[in-house]
Amino acid sequence: MTDTGAVRRRSAWSAALLAGSLFCGFAGWTYAHTRADDDLAYARDRDSALDAARRHIAVLNTMDGQHVRTSLRAWTKAADGPLADELRRTGDDSAKVLEQEGTSTRATVTDAAVTALDSRAGTAKVIATVRVEVTARTGKSTTDRKRFEAGLDDNGAGWKLSSLSAVPVAAE
Amino acid sequence: MIAGLKPRRAAQAGTAATGRDADTEEQPARGRRAGRKGRTLLALVLAALLLTGGTLLVLADRTAHAPGAANQALTDGEQTRRVIADISDALTTVFTYTPDDLATTERRAHDVLRGKAAEDYRALFGKLRRQVTKQKLSLTTRVVRAGAVELTGGKARLLVFLDQRAKREGAKATTAAAQLSITARLDDGHWTITDIKAR
Repeated sequence: MTDTGAVRRRSAWSAALLAGSLFCGFAGWTYAHTRADDDLAYARDRDSALDAARRHIAVLNTMDGQHVRTSLRAWTKAADGPLADELRRTGDDSAKVLEQEGTSTRATVTDAAVTALDSRAGTAKVIATVRVEVTARTGKSTTDRKRFEAGLDDNGAGWKLSSLSAVPVAAE
Repeated sequence: MIAGLKPRRAAQAGTAATGRDADTEEQPARGRRAGRKGRTLLALVLAALLLTGGTLLVLADRTAHAPGAANQALTDGEQTRRVIADISDALTTVFTYTPDDLATTERRAHDVLRGKAAEDYRALFGKLRRQVTKQKLSLTTRVVRAGAVELTGGKARLLVFLDQRAKREGAKATTAAAQLSITARLDDGHWTITDIKAR
């Protein structure tokens, strides 16, 4: 009686543990499979590139006329590659001009879309529309609307702008 | 859902381990204690397995249904190209007219504009019509850049950059930039525009 009871208990435990292990294994496989899903990974890259582009494009169109150097440092942080090089090269000269003018700008990205994305190479292209509020030293302010195309790359430290240029109206 | 189930199952395993203690009373005390210890260990292992499994499933579910996971912009290259091509084509024809052929433009607008976009366009065109014929205005629209922000099922959001060349008879043509946020809907296999917002 006790023996059969013990045997039954033992087999019940074995079955429960086996079921538990199978469940855990299945869950692990499911999770690994989901993480490795190419489309999902690509979608994550697309969204993080777009998010970074929106933030960085806003930064690069924003200037505090009272604290030009701080704004320029923020610019350099939002960029890398050729754009960062250019900003560093022109930084001192632009700072002098900007400090003299004392004009402040505040930018809002009103819409943006990723137009190209290469996850493996870590490059992306984004188009964005920006509303810029320009406030002169005199306090007079105007609103400007601009359209940009930006190149981004991800060198392991997150997406940064490698290029940023206004999309001009095509010449006749 | 799975997370809610998991503690209960672990708790059941726990009661199963202690609830059977009455059966083991005939055994010597030491054996009983060892048995109880073993069972507690087994119950803990089982609980750990269920907890880990449940957590992994919840994480997998969260990854699969992350915001943006359902968005097929770029992930479905074919559909993305198609919606961009359809909408670019629609915008080009809807915002291109000559004084002699307003009817074509209006017919095309009727085909591709829906809801609010159609209403807005009708209001605009009503005002424009007289001017166009009187001043012999013509407008040519070209899509310069376009990208899909969102593409989910039969709905899409796009950002489109346009160059618009306007000409009045006898005057020099001027080209201006326009940026539009477009809301689109797949209607009978064709992408239609339901809302247009200037940026």
